[in-house]
This record gives sequence, structure tokens and C-alpha cells, in this order.
Amino acid sequence: MASEAPESADDLRVQIQALLKGQSQPTVTVLSSLLAIQDDLHYLPNEAIEETASFSNTTINEVWSVASFYTNFRFTPPGDHTYEVCWGPSCHVKGAQQILKCVQEELGIDREGETEDGKVTLKYGTCLGACAQAPVIAIDHHHKGRITMEIAVRLARELKS
Amino acid sequence: MADPIKLTIDGQEIEAQPGQTIIQAAMDSGTYIPYLCYMPKMKPYGACRMCVVETESNGRTMTQASCTTPVAPDMVVRTKTGDIQELRRGIIDLLMTEHPHGCLTCHRIELCGPQDVCLRHVRVTDRCTICPKNERCELKDTVRSMELDLTNPMEYHFRDLPRHVDDPFYDRDYNLCIVCARCVRVCEEVRFDTALTLVSRSGTALVGTSHGTSLLESGCEFCGACVDVCPTGALVERDYKWDKADTQVTTICSNCPVGCQVITEVNKRNKAIRFRGDLAGEANNGQLCFKGKFASDYPNKKGRFRYPLVKIDSELKRTTWALALESAAENLKKFSPDQIAIIASPRGTNEDNYVAGKLARVALGTNNIDSALNLNPELTEGLLPSTGYGAATNSIWELENSRCVMVIGGNPTEEQNVLAVPVKKAARDGADIVVIDARETELTRYCKDGLWLRPKPGTEVTLVGGILRAVMDEALEDKEFVNTRVDGLQDIKQELWSFDLVRVAQITGIEEDQIRAAARAYGSAESAAILYGADTILAEEKTDLALAVANLALVTGNIGRAGGGIYPLFGGANTQGSNDVGANPRFLPGYVSVQDESARAQLSKEWGARIPDQAGLSITEMVAAMADGTIKAAIVMADGIAPDQPGLEGLQAALDRLDFLLVSDDFPGELSHFADVILPSAAFTEIDGTFTNLERRVQLLRRGMTLNYEERPGWAALAALGRAMGASGFEFDTAADVFAEIASIVPSYAGISHDRLESGGIQWPCADSEASGTAILHGEPDEAFRPRMTPMSIRELLDVRDSEYPFTLAHGRVLHVPDHPVDVENRDGMNYISRDSYVHLHPNDASSAGISDGEMVELRSKPDQDGNTVTFIGYAKLESPHPGLISVTTLFGEVASAMQDSDDPDPAPRVRGLPLMAVSLTKVSVPAGVA
Repeated sequence: MASEAPESADDLRVQIQALLKGQSQPTVTVLSSLLAIQDDLHYLPNEAIEETASFSNTTINEVWSVASFYTNFRFTPPGDHTYEVCWGPSCHVKGAQQILKCVQEELGIDREGETEDGKVTLKYGTCLGACAQAPVIAIDHHHKGRITMEIAVRLARELKS
Repeated sequence: MADPIKLTIDGQEIEAQPGQTIIQAAMDSGTYIPYLCYMPKMKPYGACRMCVVETESNGRTMTQASCTTPVAPDMVVRTKTGDIQELRRGIIDLLMTEHPHGCLTCHRIELCGPQDVCLRHVRVTDRCTICPKNERCELKDTVRSMELDLTNPMEYHFRDLPRHVDDPFYDRDYNLCIVCARCVRVCEEVRFDTALTLVSRSGTALVGTSHGTSLLESGCEFCGACVDVCPTGALVERDYKWDKADTQVTTICSNCPVGCQVITEVNKRNKAIRFRGDLAGEANNGQLCFKGKFASDYPNKKGRFRYPLVKIDSELKRTTWALALESAAENLKKFSPDQIAIIASPRGTNEDNYVAGKLARVALGTNNIDSALNLNPELTEGLLPSTGYGAATNSIWELENSRCVMVIGGNPTEEQNVLAVPVKKAARDGADIVVIDARETELTRYCKDGLWLRPKPGTEVTLVGGILRAVMDEALEDKEFVNTRVDGLQDIKQELWSFDLVRVAQITGIEEDQIRAAARAYGSAESAAILYGADTILAEEKTDLALAVANLALVTGNIGRAGGGIYPLFGGANTQGSNDVGANPRFLPGYVSVQDESARAQLSKEWGARIPDQAGLSITEMVAAMADGTIKAAIVMADGIAPDQPGLEGLQAALDRLDFLLVSDDFPGELSHFADVILPSAAFTEIDGTFTNLERRVQLLRRGMTLNYEERPGWAALAALGRAMGASGFEFDTAADVFAEIASIVPSYAGISHDRLESGGIQWPCADSEASGTAILHGEPDEAFRPRMTPMSIRELLDVRDSEYPFTLAHGRVLHVPDHPVDVENRDGMNYISRDSYVHLHPNDASSAGISDGEMVELRSKPDQDGNTVTFIGYAKLESPHPGLISVTTLFGEVASAMQDSDDPDPAPRVRGLPLMAVSLTKVSVPAGVA
């Protein structure tokens, strides 16, 4: 870590400290602190765990046990765009698996996560709440319904470029 | 105690204490309930569900975990019904699905050897016979007690997790983990470190660290508590990993004055292979530290002295005890009493020390006898005028119930590790921790805002005086106690006029408000204890510190009160005992001053020799006297002395100047190098004897290893020397004989004997064989001594710095620094901390040296007598509280790595403390491109 430019790491810490102190709710917990950081940075860097430990007067391991418990926390930076494919029951019946497969092929990954260039994050959605429009995807949280494989691949290609 | 609760377990009517859980009541009455996550002295957790029982209470029948269910009146508990057994079998099946269990469910488990052909095709690496915990595995024992259906074991899913074998001292293999969380819980709720935690959730939950980092980064203090509680082979000590114990014996750790009761496992080849904290230990409650757990195996190491040696023509030659003693006696007779000194070992038992003291006075005619680590005798002896006893007033585990603990100039987390455990527990329970120290230590992170007072080095005593003044100003004194039980209030009231808070603030650099806050925290707590050491205290101030601390405790009524008291912090496993039994230049056995005419005469009569009336030289004076040639001959019991110990720096060079040196040691080392006669000594695992710990608890050491050569315990060697010199009164057969003589001479030991100690330690004073010892001094008004407050004086800053080394370096050490990154580097398969430290400077100092924030600086310490200097390089951070004070905080993990790598047979005494140093400061110019 010493090899990192100290200024940027320090800046990140300052930013995290500001987020920690800026929590306005009456009860501030480890969980609320982590959420506050992730809301802003979209992920929890190492520094977030350390600063939260310092802030809440506990240890990094205790913070980590909370952070690692929840699947919603992520510890690597997300891609520039998110591409969420719903695989809830309705979408599944309407062919979500095939859509997912060709999107993964287009993005060049075989699971959830970021593409190699860090541009797109692929996520599986358990239900995006628009079953009437199945199959559904969401790009940067904007829903798109009645998706075909062709559209899904085209949208993925557009995000990639 | 509340009325016992009556209940029925398996048809047997028993009585249990309210608040006990069913499993505890069952164990007390001799009923076995299988369990895996339950652990005595830890909170119930209910993770494994192995301990389910059927309960019938208020007409309802339920299946409940017996470790989390409290007993209730008239409860009926059934532990072995068919349904319950079936349920447990299902549970253990599930627990084992991810633990290799081919062997656990095999009927040949007791018959198999590591190389046998396996009819079940269990992989070699999955077999119990090659597991390091085989034969001491709780999982195996539990499974065997379940009488599983062996024909149809469940499928085993191998998790294929990486093994962690690169951290100091112990290995972690989570493929064997059953996630009972005992390790996580002991680390969190007993040790308060949380170096381990549960990671992730549900089926993937596992023990781990933040981001899977090494233990060096996670804040591990390597106490090994997690290893001791692990029921499987997941956590195992690395040394002697696969060795099997042949015998085990309960003895006392020889590393520090806490006196932890430790179970020593000895294998068939007479090696001490493992050390476990004894849950029954009164002083340690089952806990150990990195030294006691992982660095106590030194008696096994090769190269020990096995036979007496005598120097002939500058070469050490093997000889017999008779000849060695004869040569020693002859040589010693050539010197006058004033020219001879005895240095007793910090690991010497009471028996060793008593005989050493007697030898000095009776056979050599001198009072020049001191214990090697009795470097700050003022801390204990300074209490004699105040409390009447040169010892801590209360017991170690009372500290967990204190409502305020003040720690002055000491670092118990490292030096007296287990003593810090109850302090941390008190902090966790909401007690205020006040630390007066320029250094950052592990306890400073437990201080609430503003209660870590960092005075200018050298002004600590003045600060304590200021706190005392603030206590009086705010009327926080215990008036009733002071008026009825204590003398001298008027004297110190007058003295306190000079401790004007404005002036104290000016001298110490601590603001008035902070002094008052500390005074309120201490003075208004229901019970408040003080731990005080001399790490940062200047020599001139040590006696005053003891007086100041005693005054503060007396004025607030914290003497004689549970959870209160004062605890001097010193080094050496038996420094307390050595002073008690007279291995002390100023005191005869029982703290009788050598200048006390009548007492001296009486002891002279009993010993049959005239005892010299002049106080002898203290350990530090001895070293100086050896160096200048006043002392010409010495006997050094060298076991456990590190010559580079702060305070003993000149010892090695001084010994070189002697005309005659007799060393009793177990290993060749720097001290035996100059010896004319060497007597091989027995190590702490090989002797019977007693240690007295810092809470005055006399505890029994038991011999676990046999002596196969000619090593002898210290008392036997010294008694033989006494006889060789023609003195009488040295006819002892056993350590118990020596102790019986101690008990007949030292009044506070009078009721103690080896036989009585077999069933547990006893805290002196213990006047007769009926008395049970004294946990709290002055708990009842003491007829023999009335506590007295003694004035101390205010001092301006005492300065040890000079123009060349104008800064004081306060070197701190902590377990982890959450807001600083730590780098770990793997070299040759082991992890090491490699990181750039921060050097904390005062902005004024930085600007006058032309240093700005973040620049690299070098600190160089003033050379010691041997010309050695210490250097530190780090990045400047401009946040020191006082001009002239520089602080550096390093990580404890570095100590662990260094100890692990040490070639020294006995590395524990060499763990450096954290003394203040005078240093110079320079800016390091880094060539462009390197940074």
C-alpha cells in the first residue's frame, strides 16, 4: 500500500471520514456507516473498513464480519454501467436464461461481475418487479421490457464501446 | 448466595445455582451431555446444537439446547431419550459433512496407525491418524460418544481451502473447522482483540480475518487462546505439531509476575511440547500470553549445560559437582564480604531465593544480594510507609469489576500480559481507563476521550499530584475512610498547596480540564484501581510515584476495597517472592530491614551466624560496582536474564572485569561466557518449588520433565555451595524442606506449605494453617499497621536530554492501527510486517528542523555504554502534543515475528520493553525517483 500515491489514498480517507461524519440519522451503526459509504462510492474499499472501525471504535475484523455478511456490499469498484438481467420466474419462463447466456457471451464473462475493462457490471436480478413486461433487463437502473436476444446483445455491445 | 434450585436430570434429583445453565448443572452432577461450542468461562452461544435435551417445565415438554437454557425450579431434564439421541446423530452428521470423517465413523479408529492400509479408501490426508489433534480432538471424542450407525456415513464435501501456515506460532487449516466459533468468541469476549471473526453467512460462513489478511495485520496478540479452545485440528501450535503428550503436569509459567497456571504436556522423549492455560488457574483464569504459550519450550533446546564446568587455563572443562563446589568455595574465600555479590534469577523460586539470601548472609557475610529484574524496587518498597506491605494490595481478577483503572508508566499488555485481560474486560463493561503515558500502548485505545494523558516525559509524578489535588478540590475523597482508617491527611493537605493546577498544567503540558476529568473519573468511581510501572519514570521519581499512587488510593478509599487497590508493575516471574524471602540487599526475609537491630539479632540466632548490618548493593549498584572494580567476585543465577534488558545494559561488560565469577545457568550465553565455574541449572519445568506472583499468591511449580544429567535446582546448588564453604544450616533434602524453613521465619508465609499449595495458590499474609490467605490487604482494619499518607514534593521538569540528542522518543507499540495501512510481505513462506512508520513530531520542532508533513526523517538514539544506537526511519506527521517529544508507534506483530525467528534458546526475556530514549532528529533526503 505504501507504493500507492499517498495523496490519493489520503484523499479517499478524507472523503470516507466526511461520509461517516455526515450521517444525519439519530442511530449511527457500523451497518449505517457502511451503507453511507457504499451509497456514495458504490463499493467499500479497504480504507472504508479501516475508517469505519476507527470511527465506531471497534476493530477491522468486527466491521468485516458485518460487511461480509450482506451480499449487497461489494468490495471492488463497480463498472461504469450496470446491466441487470432478471431471472425471476416470469422472465425465466419467457427465456431469461438464453438472454443471460448471450449477454455473457457478448460481454466476455461467465458469471456476475465486471467486464475485464471495468466498463460494465453484469448482475442477476431475482425479480425487477415488472413481470408483465417479461423478459426484463435494467441498464443503469432503467428498465427495458419485452427484450429479445438481439436487443439484449445490441444493448450490451453499445455499453461496451 | 441465592437459594439453590432443585431439578431432575435423568431421574436424578440435583441442586443447581440460579443462573446456571442445564449443561453446567449436569456437568456438576456428573452427567455427560455432548457439546462442541460450549466452553466453560465463555458466554453460552448455542451454535452446534449438540447439547439438545428434552425439558419438562410448567407442564410443557420442549427440546432445547442445554448450554443456553437456564435451570428452572422443578424442571425435569432428559438427556438420553431415543428421540434426543436420534436428533443429535442427525446434527453431528451435518456437522461432519465438511470435516474429513472417514475415520471418525470407522470402527477401527482406535486400532489404525498412520501407515495402515485403509479398507475404506480414506485419503491419507483425510485420516485422523495424521491429524495433529488426533487423541486430543474433541470432535472425535464427541462423535465416538454418539454411537453412530457406522455403515452409512454421509458424503463428505472437501472445501479445499488454503491452509494458513505463514503466520507466527500457529497454523490454521479451516478445512477442519466446524464453525463452533469458540476461537472467535474467546478472542472477542475473553481477550477483547477480535483478531478473528466470522466471515460471510449461512453455509459459507467461516472463521477468518478482514479481507483474509494475515494475523499480523488483524491485531492478533498471539496469546494462543483460540488454539487452546479449538475442538478440532483447525488451529494447532506449529512447534511439536504432531507430537503426542505422554504426561501432563500443572505448573506456573516463568515469564512474568502474573504467575499463570499452565498445563505442560511432556512427551515420551522428555520434552515439554505444549503449554495450555489452566482454566482452574486463579491468577490467569485459563489465559496465557505469547511468551507463556509459545516461548516456554526452551528447556528442550539442544546445547544445555549438563555437567558442572570449571575454567582451567582459560578453557572450561567438565568436572564433578564436588570439585566444582570445592573450587568455587576456595575462590570465594579469597575475597572479603564487601567484594562479593549474588545476583538471583528472575525465575528463581522462593526456595532458590531464600537459600541465596541465606548463603549471602551466613556463608559470605554480605548483604550484596538482589534479584536481577528487581530494577525498580522503589515501586514496591516505596509502599512500605504507606500501606505497610511492599506488594499489590488487591488481586488480579478483581480488576474486571473495577469501575476505573488508571495505568501509569507501564505497558501491562506486553510485560504482564494476562494482567491486562481483566483491565480490558472492565473497559468493555464501561469502566473508565485512564492512561498516563507519553507512549501509545495497547491500553490507550480503551481510553475514552481525553483520558489518555500524555505528560511531558519526566513529569508523571507531578501530574499524579495534580490529580490528587483535583480530587481534593472537587471533594471526591472518601471522608469516612480517611478519617477513621488513615493517618497523615493534614501533612499532605499542606503539601498539596504547591500542586496548584495552573502550575501543574504548565509543568506537565496537560490542560487543567483534562487533569480534572481524570480526577473525576478516578475519584468518583465506585472502585478504582491503579497500575503503575516505571517504564517512563525517571530514577529520582520512582519512590515519589509509589507514594503519590498510595496517597491517591488512600484518599479515595480505594485501599481495602474490592475492585480498587494499587498494583506495582515489575518484571520477573518471582521478583515479588525474592523480596519476600530476603533475596534483597535492604531487607531480610519478611521485609525486616537489615538495620533493624533486634530483628537482625533474632535471625542471626536462628541462622547461627552474624548478619551484616549494612544495606547491600542493589542490582543496578552492583553492576556499577563490578564495572569500577569494587566488587571482585560474583555468583549469578543467570536463567531468564537477558543482558540487553533495559537497566542491565552494562552487566555483560561488568562481569568481564570480575576476578571470579560463578554462573548457574541452563544455556551457554553472554553471561556464562566469562564464568570461572559453571553449575548446570534445572529449568522451571524440571523443578518443584514456589513462585509468588504480583498479587502475593504463592503457587506451586511441579516437575514435569525428569533430570537425566547433573542439572540441579538453584536452591540445591546454592545449599551445596554453602556446605562446601563450611557453613551450617544448609542441610535441605527437598524444596518443601526449604519452604518449611521460610514459613518458620517469614510471618506472612507462616500458614503456607507445599502440601497446602497442592490444592491451589494462597495469597500472603497467611498467618497459620487454618487461614485461607488474604485477597485484599486492609480489607479489615489492620491491627498491625495503620495506612498513612506521606507527602511528596512537586518537581519542575527533570530533563535527561542534551544538546546533541535534544528530543525524547516515546516508543509505543499497539496491536493494530485501524487507520494506517500495514503491508505484509511473505519471505521464505513466513509473513512479516513491512511498513513505513510514522514519526509524530510537534509542528514547532518540525519547522525549526526544516521538516514538513510527510517527509522522511531519521531518529538516532544516544549511544549506550557499549556505543550501540537505535535508529528509526519514518514519515513525519506533525501531531505530537509537546515540543521536544517525538513518538513512534510500531506494531506488536513485529515482536511476534522476531520471537518466532529468534535463534536464542530462550527468546522471551529478550522481548524489548519500551523505554524512553534521547534521540536526534534529521531529515532524510531521498534521491529523486526512489520514493
